[in-house]
Amino acid sequence: MNESFANVLFVLTSATYVAASAIFLRFLVRGKGDVGKLGPRLIALGAVLHAAHICVASLVLRVCPVEGIHFPMSVASMLMCAAYVVARKRLRVEVAGAFIAPLALTSLMASRFVGRAEPGEGVKSFILPFHVTLNLFGVALFGLAFSAAALYLVQERLVKSKRIDGMSRRLPPLDALDRAEHRFLLAGFPLLTIGIITGTVWAQRVEAGATADILRAVFGYVTWLVIAGVLFLRAAAGWRGRRAAYGTIAGFGFAVLVLIVYLTRTGTPHTVAGTTGTSSSSPVLTRTVQP
Amino acid sequence: MSLPVVVIGVSHKTAPVDVRERFAAGAEILPELLARLTSRPELDEAMFLSTCNRVEIVALAKPGKSLEDAKRAASRAVREALREQLGASSIDDLGDWLYEKSGDDAVRHIFRVAASLDSMVLGEPQILGQVKDAYDAAVAAGALRSHLARCVHRAFTVAKRIRSETQLGAGIVSISSVAVDLAKRIFGDLGSSTVLLVGAGEMAEQAAKSLGKTAKSIRVCNRSFDRAATLAATFGGTAAPLDQLEAELVISDVVVASTSSKTFVITRDLVKRVMKQRKGKTLFLIDIAVPRNVEPDVHKLDNVYVYNVDDLEAEVAENMKARHGEVEAAEDIVAAELADWAAWARGLNVNPTVVALRARTRGVLVAELERSLSGRLKHLTEGDRAALAQMVESATNKLLHAPTTRLKHAASVRDADAGDLVHAVHHLFDLPPVVEAFDEAERDSRMMKAESVGAHSNEDEQSGRLPH
Repeated sequence: MNESFANVLFVLTSATYVAASAIFLRFLVRGKGDVGKLGPRLIALGAVLHAAHICVASLVLRVCPVEGIHFPMSVASMLMCAAYVVARKRLRVEVAGAFIAPLALTSLMASRFVGRAEPGEGVKSFILPFHVTLNLFGVALFGLAFSAAALYLVQERLVKSKRIDGMSRRLPPLDALDRAEHRFLLAGFPLLTIGIITGTVWAQRVEAGATADILRAVFGYVTWLVIAGVLFLRAAAGWRGRRAAYGTIAGFGFAVLVLIVYLTRTGTPHTVAGTTGTSSSSPVLTRTVQP
Repeated sequence: MSLPVVVIGVSHKTAPVDVRERFAAGAEILPELLARLTSRPELDEAMFLSTCNRVEIVALAKPGKSLEDAKRAASRAVREALREQLGASSIDDLGDWLYEKSGDDAVRHIFRVAASLDSMVLGEPQILGQVKDAYDAAVAAGALRSHLARCVHRAFTVAKRIRSETQLGAGIVSISSVAVDLAKRIFGDLGSSTVLLVGAGEMAEQAAKSLGKTAKSIRVCNRSFDRAATLAATFGGTAAPLDQLEAELVISDVVVASTSSKTFVITRDLVKRVMKQRKGKTLFLIDIAVPRNVEPDVHKLDNVYVYNVDDLEAEVAENMKARHGEVEAAEDIVAAELADWAAWARGLNVNPTVVALRARTRGVLVAELERSLSGRLKHLTEGDRAALAQMVESATNKLLHAPTTRLKHAASVRDADAGDLVHAVHHLFDLPPVVEAFDEAERDSRMMKAESVGAHSNEDEQSGRLPH
């Protein structure tokens, strides 16, 4: 196993996600193709290749997949695809692949090409992988909730404007989308909550104080507040459908902002109580890496 | 030459419903009717098709002096049967409502009917099932046995081809089905949805028939409670008086409004209150009343969707337009299948010759064998004799395989030489005279060929060339 094998897997994964995106797009826009079978299968294949890529790249670079941010971002998109493959039939959201595939592709690309190499020595703590893993699952589920919410808004607009032919026929029923979005949020929220708590503890330990750290924390808390608000208002005041969809999209938007801040920050050393170190973001398969 | 198939009947295109219903026959009298038809000396096979939009008899004539004679005789027999069915004193009393088709036109008609190209609602799927029922009834009564059975069976294939290769059956073309489709677009499976009918008239009943099949439960809310209770009982639902409308709306998901009220029965304020109690749960209102029962502004509320009769009809019209665009492709399939069928039917013309040739060949061989068995081969055992008989059968089959295939092929492709071949076979093997039917077919074929040659000659003359 070497770096070129990891690169081959990266290219294959990207190509599979591109093909899945094209198939879903063709189906949605032109109504052609059997999206019920081929599209989800391609996403499933993409997730498998993606997982293989993550394993191989981890072994080559000797990087833990749940430390740092570049790799975890890639892991999150892989988990999102896997969750989609598992839940799509039960929740009747096959067409959500139209968002899942491009999201996974973007995330995969960002994890490789965005950001910069940081010092390789990571701060060793059991909290960090725990924090990252929970947030990864949370983001993956919010990605799915976002896809369902976006499709809901499209379908809702078509039904409201009484343009019920064509695309409307190809999208899942409104209630199915609303229900799927709610369930993904419900599943992701506890993970996010624990992720936020562990993140807070971690931030105190490393004495984070840089602008990026503050922004990251603020966007993280806002994400939690928005998602909590969406779930609370739905239960208490009947905020379903369009309002819930907008809230979900906003929540996911803030989660993405957290990731963007992670990806674009510079390598600021953190000081851990009693020791010194750096943030553990690991450059994956970048030329500057020194395993 | 085509088979002597005859179709006579009435349809929505030729007769109003009060005439069509006089011709109609229920399933219980079909066996007797079919027995009467096939007992007529002019008819070989028959099928009786009776739907709400058409009543027709499809029959295959018994061979007559000529094809035309056979068809004329069959036509008279079928009209006589229809007269009896109607209880009229004379065939003339049947009026101008009847249409009649024969030969290839009749076969094309059967194909088009089964494929729903001749239906009132183009592309509707029920007609194929109705033709199948008529076919089954005729087969069960022994009225369909051979060529006509094959023809009707071929119509099923044509219908299936058209359904799978064109979009003739695509889209929904009835108001109630569009309403159900829309409800499914919003709720997905209606199995967990409650349908509320506001008003208990005929329109509500029709909607209940469509929605009630899949909904969890049906509730009926009407100004007259008794009427609501009657309709609710029909569909196993629950009735409520109109003053409980708000409470009913809270527990329902799909609402069909069809009262005769001149003012809005379901207002924006009412639905706003209802949505609060429903905690924002989606509500779909189908307003099929004229004047409308649901205030249009209700549609602007979150998670509430209102479709009125115009919206539904627009969808129906759009789907019908799309279906009409598929007619040409469907007719092409009918034409191709008809050509295929006609080729097969022409191949039947040489059957008498084939049968006669086979009888002659087998007869000669069997006679020779028997002569030997009673003479020089007298000593043979029963087993040896059976083996020799089997050998004669095999020899007959092998010897006649090539001439049979070539004769049938020549006839099926309208080859003018087929007539010469038939005559030659009859002459060489001293068979009984050639059947008149084939002569007729040959004459048609020669005339077509002559016309074709004449046309070429004219072209040659015009271009200054000598004809070949």
